[in-house]
Amino acid sequence: MSSFVHAGSSQIVAVEQFAGSSAVLGAALAGAALNLRYIGIVASLSDVLNGLSLRMKLLTIHITGDENWALTMAERAKNPAIGTPFLIGSGLVMISVWTSSTTLGAVVGSALPNLEQFGLGFAFTAAFIAMARGLWRGPANLLPWGVSFAVTIGFVLLGTSKAYAIVAGTVCGVATIYLIKNRRKQIA
Amino acid sequence: MTFPFWMLIAVLAVAAFSIRVLGLVAGDAIRSSRYSWILDDLPGLIVVSLVASSLAGQSIGTWVAAAVALFVAYLTNHVIWTMCIGVAAYALLVWFGA
Repeated sequence: MSSFVHAGSSQIVAVEQFAGSSAVLGAALAGAALNLRYIGIVASLSDVLNGLSLRMKLLTIHITGDENWALTMAERAKNPAIGTPFLIGSGLVMISVWTSSTTLGAVVGSALPNLEQFGLGFAFTAAFIAMARGLWRGPANLLPWGVSFAVTIGFVLLGTSKAYAIVAGTVCGVATIYLIKNRRKQIA
Repeated sequence: MTFPFWMLIAVLAVAAFSIRVLGLVAGDAIRSSRYSWILDDLPGLIVVSLVASSLAGQSIGTWVAAAVALFVAYLTNHVIWTMCIGVAAYALLVWFGA
C-alpha cells in the first residue's frame, strides 16, 4: 500500500474508514481527499518537470512527498541549478524509507514506545520551518504568509482536518497575493 | 489480506495518483497563463500552511521550540542545523515540563 499509494495521512484515514465500514469506495475517497494539496504541490513543480518525458513526469510525481518537494523548492530558491535530479533522488529516498518503515512498523510497531515523546514529530515541523526560510523572498511574503498561517491555524482549531486546513490556508494566501497585485495595478 | 482490502489499495492508489496528475495538468495550464505568478508563490504558502497545521493546538513548549527553530533557520538557512537545534530545544522543554 505504501509503495502504490505513497500518501501517509490518506492511507491511515482510508484504512480507519475501511475498518469501520468495509465500504471500499467511501474509504478510498475519504483518504484521497486528504491529498488535495498535491494539486498545488505538483503544479508548483511545473518548471522543474519541464522537459521530462511524460513517463518520467508520472514517475516523478508519484515518488514526490511533502518533505522532498519542500526541500527541493527550498534548495532551488538558493541555487536555481537544483532541479529534476535532486527531486527524483530525494523522492526515491523518501518512498524507500516510507515503504520500509511502514513495513517495519506493521511488524514490530506495537513493541515500540511512543516516538512522539522523543520529539520525532517536531523534527518535521523544524524541517519545514527551515524550508520556509529557504523560500522566503523578502517582506512582500509577510502578509500572504501571515494570512496562510493564521487561516490554517484557525481552521484546525475549529476542528477541520489538517489536510483541508492546509488547502484553505494556501488558497487564502494566493487570494491575498492576487488582491495585493490588483491594488498595486489600480494605484499605478 | 482479503480481496476487498486489495481493492481498497487499488482504488486509493488510482485516486491519489489522479490528484497528482490533476496537479501536473493544472501546473502546465497555469504556467502558460497570466496567473503564472501563482506557481512562484505556491511553495512558500504550502510550506507555511504545513508548519501552521503542525503547530495548531500544540503546547506553549512546542511553540517556543518552533520559535527557536525559526531563529536558527533565520541565522543559518540550513535544514539539518534547524532540525537538530529545534528538536534539542523541544526535548529540553519537554524535560522541564513545558
